[in-house]
Amino acid sequence: MSNTLGNTGSMPDQAGAYLRFESVTKTFGAVPVVQEPFSLDIPAGQFVVFLGPSGCGKTTLMRMIGGLDTPSSGRILLQGQPVGGPDIRRGMVFQSYSSFPWLSVRKNVEFGMRFRRDMTKAQKRERAGYFLDLVGLSDFASSYPSRISGGMRQRVAIARTLAADPDVLLMDEPFGALDANLREDLQYELRKIQKKSGKTTIFVTHDVEEAVFLADRIIVFGSRPARVMADMDILSMVGPVRDETLRDSERFFHIRTDILHLLRGRLREAGQEGA
Amino acid sequence: MSGASSFGGLLRFRTAVPRMAVGVAALLGAMSFLGAWWLIVALHVVAPIFLPSPATVARAFWTMCADGVAMPNALISISRVWSAFLLSAIIAVPLGILMSGYRIIGAFLEPLIDFIRYLPVPALVPLAIIWFGVGEETKIFLLWLGTFFQLVLMVAADMKRVPGEYFETAYTLGAKPRQTLGTVALPAMLPQLMDSMRISLGWCWTYVIIAEIVASDSGLGFVIWTARRFMKTDQVMAGVIMIGLIGLLTDQCLRLLHRFLFRYQSS
Repeated sequence: MSNTLGNTGSMPDQAGAYLRFESVTKTFGAVPVVQEPFSLDIPAGQFVVFLGPSGCGKTTLMRMIGGLDTPSSGRILLQGQPVGGPDIRRGMVFQSYSSFPWLSVRKNVEFGMRFRRDMTKAQKRERAGYFLDLVGLSDFASSYPSRISGGMRQRVAIARTLAADPDVLLMDEPFGALDANLREDLQYELRKIQKKSGKTTIFVTHDVEEAVFLADRIIVFGSRPARVMADMDILSMVGPVRDETLRDSERFFHIRTDILHLLRGRLREAGQEGA
Repeated sequence: MSGASSFGGLLRFRTAVPRMAVGVAALLGAMSFLGAWWLIVALHVVAPIFLPSPATVARAFWTMCADGVAMPNALISISRVWSAFLLSAIIAVPLGILMSGYRIIGAFLEPLIDFIRYLPVPALVPLAIIWFGVGEETKIFLLWLGTFFQLVLMVAADMKRVPGEYFETAYTLGAKPRQTLGTVALPAMLPQLMDSMRISLGWCWTYVIIAEIVASDSGLGFVIWTARRFMKTDQVMAGVIMIGLIGLLTDQCLRLLHRFLFRYQSS
């Protein structure tokens, strides 16, 4: 394997861990989804991508951060406190059904603050306006989701989650249903917004290029059996600036190719075992 | 040539046809039905006492409207349908939502409701008369019986179809499960819910006629049944057509309302 895949060493632990997995496993009924105990320390503000094929447990791990699933063993700590059920501190953006069709774009974003009692109506409206502007949807504030494109709908969901001001932003293949060009645009915007807001972000995808473009750090998962194959410090490999020149650069290409080889090697092995 | 090819286009499998063609086809359908009816009568295939001509039925329809028989009885039937329907909906909607929202409530009630909804309403008429006599309660009870149990299950299914992502999104925005009932579940299922209610309103019409035939001295069912006793087939048919027209009108109004209320759905 190439040097880009070399173990980059674990990120600063203990004191630096903002979000921490401690030997987490998950079994649904008799089906193990995360079999090998999973441990990971994530410092504040980091953009972490969980990359892997379907069935590798990456989505389940993220849902457990959100409190939408609970670990079968081990625990997840946010700022030292074990996470419980879902709450406003950990916001989630889904791939589909991400925005509410019965609410206008503005009302969708305001919904992010719907259950907050410490804000007045005017404050909510103003804050919604700010985030609508941030994702470039001010002109569509009064439109319904059915009248705007799929990419805009995902931006609505992102704005809504940001408006709720969570500590952690969780994204489950949010651009998975979009066409390639739109995807690249949104990746570019998301990266900018994430840096601007400084939100610790966990982004799940099976798209290698998307992962490399967005991530400060990629956790590569393999399936059958589900396990972590690499923990890559993308930030130190390509730096903080992400734009179209990066996509065309040789470095980007190499990292991408290495990860693909890693994933394919895994798949080949699994295929041979199966045969 | 081009005419032939465009007619061929109308018969292409699963393909949209021009609006104009849809209108013409609907009109032709109705006219050929009337034409066949008229032809059967004109050729004396069936005696007029069994099948009066379309014109005779139209005349009977007009007379019934003019001499003040049709309207009051239609209004009585309509009010029975709506009161029973609203009584059903008021209980069925919250209960259906609860059944799907709290699975244990669903497990408790579903087998029972499944059993009752397969009991045919006419089979329960004698029981209803024993319990309530032949008054207004009997009719409302029968109509309610015929719609409530169906509607509860449809509401529960509508609720179940609300994507889990909507709820989970709300949870991660700070909503408690109970808070999602009004802010997520209800608005998300409302278009489906209204369709379910529209369908069950149609069933109400079926049962009101049965109830009025068996135990009533008013309403359109009673009018039809009385006309039958005097072998006034034209009046029987006029009454049936009136029921159909009221149903059609109600349904179209509700569809329009649906399109207006949920215009956010269409693109």
